[in-house]
Amino acid sequence: MMDLGRRKSYWNRPTLGLWERSYLPEVLRGLAVTGGVIARNLARWLTFRKGALTARYPEERRADYAAGNRGKHVLTTRPDGRPQCIACMLCATACPARVIEIEAAFDPADAAHPKHPARFEIDYSRCVFCGLCVEACPEDAIRMPQDVPDLPSHDRGEMWLSRDHLLGWCPRSDAAKPYPPGPAGGGEGGSL
Amino acid sequence: MTRIFLNGREIEVAADTTVLRAALDNGVYVPYFCWHPRLSVAGNCRICMVEVEGKGLDIACNMPVSEGMKVLTDSDEVRAARKAMMQFLTLNHPVDCGICDKAGECTLQDYHFAYNGAPSISAEPKVRATKFHDLGDRILIDNERCIVCSRCVRFTHEVSRSKALGIQGRGDTSLVRCEEGRRFDDPYSDNVIDLCPVGALLSRSFLYKARVWFLEATPSVCPGCARGCAIRIWHLRADRRLQRLDPRRNLEIARVTPLDDPAVNGPWICNKGRDLAAIFERPRADQAMLRGRPVPLAEAISEARRLVDGAKRRTALVSSWGSDGELAAFRDHLAARFDVRVKPDHVPQPGEIVEDDILIRADKNPNTRGARALFGERPVAFEPGTDLVLVWGEGFDYSRVPAGAKVVLLGSYLAPENGAADVFLPISVQTERDGSYTNSDGIARRFEACFPPGETIAHAADLFAAIGGRP
Repeated sequence: MMDLGRRKSYWNRPTLGLWERSYLPEVLRGLAVTGGVIARNLARWLTFRKGALTARYPEERRADYAAGNRGKHVLTTRPDGRPQCIACMLCATACPARVIEIEAAFDPADAAHPKHPARFEIDYSRCVFCGLCVEACPEDAIRMPQDVPDLPSHDRGEMWLSRDHLLGWCPRSDAAKPYPPGPAGGGEGGSL
Repeated sequence: MTRIFLNGREIEVAADTTVLRAALDNGVYVPYFCWHPRLSVAGNCRICMVEVEGKGLDIACNMPVSEGMKVLTDSDEVRAARKAMMQFLTLNHPVDCGICDKAGECTLQDYHFAYNGAPSISAEPKVRATKFHDLGDRILIDNERCIVCSRCVRFTHEVSRSKALGIQGRGDTSLVRCEEGRRFDDPYSDNVIDLCPVGALLSRSFLYKARVWFLEATPSVCPGCARGCAIRIWHLRADRRLQRLDPRRNLEIARVTPLDDPAVNGPWICNKGRDLAAIFERPRADQAMLRGRPVPLAEAISEARRLVDGAKRRTALVSSWGSDGELAAFRDHLAARFDVRVKPDHVPQPGEIVEDDILIRADKNPNTRGARALFGERPVAFEPGTDLVLVWGEGFDYSRVPAGAKVVLLGSYLAPENGAADVFLPISVQTERDGSYTNSDGIARRFEACFPPGETIAHAADLFAAIGGRP
């Protein structure tokens, strides 16, 4: 049984013995560890073998992402090619990093989908790839396949991807969803 | 006074009140759609059912209190009746909260979670009705969302008295419509958007602009006329500022809604108050100038100071859009050396309603009374020999400036006279500062800053201190 009355201390204060306090031996030991790694990698490189696991991004990309990896977003389309997204902004609401920005537009001609995203922008320099946007979406309009964004840049502004790219880089259609017919007869029609 | 028992608790209430009011006043919430404290009782939504012991269920909004009555607001019967009523109200209501502007502040949505929570038990398909029907230049109606509570109809009959709206048809084909051949041209029309307990009545200007939970409201005062209605100015929340989309939207007024102030405006404002963005978001002047030559603000201030000190006979035209604090700053720092006149910044525009017996006042300036209390009621005129005119704000005809007089102008918006003034100083607008206005009835109300002023823009009160204060 835990002693609930006493506050548990989670921070271990460092205790330095005589060996640590004498400073130099521990420094030399640390240098020996890093020096050993350098020497080993150098030896492998000189003998034309792979040294460290570091990939030389962006020229070199690792291919061993897990099957369930959540990478770059896809915006799904309806059968007619328009985005499935209804600009309800629940993904932007759920996003813990606040990286999704959507500008909604009104289309009176499409009675079943009067609201659609005129712009849809994601900032990959801040995205944490948590997938909450995918879970929040009520329309299956946003998905995250395995592929990673691959946006190396010296400028954060270039790490934004916009609607047309997200619709087009890996086209997915969500044709399964039936939509109700428009208003039947009543009143004087859906005038605007 | 009448003694009633509310959920077993004995309370004293006024003899002429209703059970719904008695419950709300005593901290017991009874849900309601069609009832509104400022409108007549319609009793058609049937959600405010309560149980009177020994008499069964009835609606609380239309139930007068009687001595010794025992009211239960949360018995099993009441809960069952509410749940059944919610099923009925949502029978034909589309589940399109995702694209509904009311979502997040919708009474039907809140009550669904509070009192129903179950999916529809109806096997019939929902009745389809007109979507986005054009009621007028400002308002659309989505008849599928409408629950026919008739609040909007009663508003146009009882408050704005335009009698513009009515309900045609019956049952599930009821439609809220304008009088035949008429458009919804009521000057108070936008109040029905707030009144609507669902998302049926939609503002064209706010349609799909933002989800309401991305916005925050700053309490403010409408400067549209001398009534000084209490309002809320809605703008993007600080943690929802846009980076990629148009960053100007971060500093824009998303919408304006009334703030209930029984002493001033009640829960209503006129349509001019809804369109404050048209006043405050005109192109702004943000550059200090000497005769049209851009200079740093500090240089313009010292030039203004030099002109004021050097003049012999000075006249100041103070703004009736200045806050009480700014007017007091002017009095403290400059008024002693000036012949001070209060200037009307705005006059009624062509086509604008000048005055009515509901809210709108003829004086289109928010603080004329506050300014006149400090500086008197003399009209704008110049004593002979005036060689310096300090103009604060808009609405002055510069052809009236006496020949040879220097002009120091404090303005917020781009205007041709800015470049002609000897000194032009850019000042903040109401949405960029705190302050208060005194309305035509002498009631002072505070407003708060929504947005930060630009770096090159000064507050008028600081300028008065800098120009008139001791060096």
